[in-house]
Amino acid sequence: MSLERKDEHDHDGWMESRDLTAIEEIYLTVLLWLDRRLRIVDYLEILENMYYKVNFQMPKSHTEQYNLDNKFWYWYPLYALGSFSTIAYVVAAISGALLGFYYAPGAGASNGTPALAYNSITFIMTELNFGFFLRSLHRWSAQVMVAAVFLHMLRVYFTGAYKEPRELNWIIGIVLISLTMVFGYTGYLLPWDQLAFWAGQIGVEMSLSIPLIGEWVAQLLFGGFTLSQSTVQRMYILHVFVLPFVTTGIIAVHIGIVWMQGIAEPH
Amino acid sequence: MVVPDAVYKRVTVFSTLFAVAAVVGGFLLLDVATDRATAELSEVQPLVALAGLGLIAIGAVTYAFSTRFRADGMGNAKDETDELSDNG
Repeated sequence: MSLERKDEHDHDGWMESRDLTAIEEIYLTVLLWLDRRLRIVDYLEILENMYYKVNFQMPKSHTEQYNLDNKFWYWYPLYALGSFSTIAYVVAAISGALLGFYYAPGAGASNGTPALAYNSITFIMTELNFGFFLRSLHRWSAQVMVAAVFLHMLRVYFTGAYKEPRELNWIIGIVLISLTMVFGYTGYLLPWDQLAFWAGQIGVEMSLSIPLIGEWVAQLLFGGFTLSQSTVQRMYILHVFVLPFVTTGIIAVHIGIVWMQGIAEPH
Repeated sequence: MVVPDAVYKRVTVFSTLFAVAAVVGGFLLLDVATDRATAELSEVQPLVALAGLGLIAIGAVTYAFSTRFRADGMGNAKDETDELSDNG
């Protein structure tokens, strides 16, 4: 891709050959002069070219080839659920990054004083400008993402889109729905209110119930067998550092494979 | 006025750009002059307000003027006054 000018139209020669009024001639001369300096049209043509390349389509879809649109059209709105999940993820990422400016992961002492984490949530919800809005946006986009990812999985299952040659992407999708739920769980614990605390307690006990490696898992994820500062800290780092990189990377692969293989038609 | 494709593209891109910038800029000036339409009549800055209205008009005229240039095959041939009729 280069900005080399391919064919230089002989504007001046053309203009002399036409019978233009003075205003028309000045107008065109000014615009053509500007274009020769700024080359906006060339940049727009590059964008146009890229648009057509990005939207390259396979020749004919399954439903077009066998004229099945009359049987399957009602599935098509559900084909938007993958994009919907991605949009919810992006909204959660942006609002989450903004919340990160105001949130601090700190558990309370055992004497009953509210935790630092809980206090920062209180600050966001009651004093920060647009704080209530920001946290609501983050929570709702998270809820929407979980719902959309689940419905996306149902759509893929019931239209048979998981079948060969797309098994690999189905498996990646299972990994992604699991990561989505881990995202949700780690975020659920961050306010460190009663809801979060007892959900954390359930998490520790679930980890401990795993045969053989249970204690190791509880240590790794929750920083011990009882909830403490380590728990909040670990949930925070998982939520804002580990999971975002891992999940974003796998989503990129997931979407990249869809792009390469094309959208699956109903079977 | 039918012009070559290369000229048509440049006219469209730059005219649209100027028209949009002028109209938006005009409204910004109007806002400034009238303090977002909240100023008392005596506190309106007449020169700035007129400049704003003028800029909006310039934007509209620029856009209208640019529409007289067409690429080959656009518009209705019967409206074409550029070609001389030899009466059959």
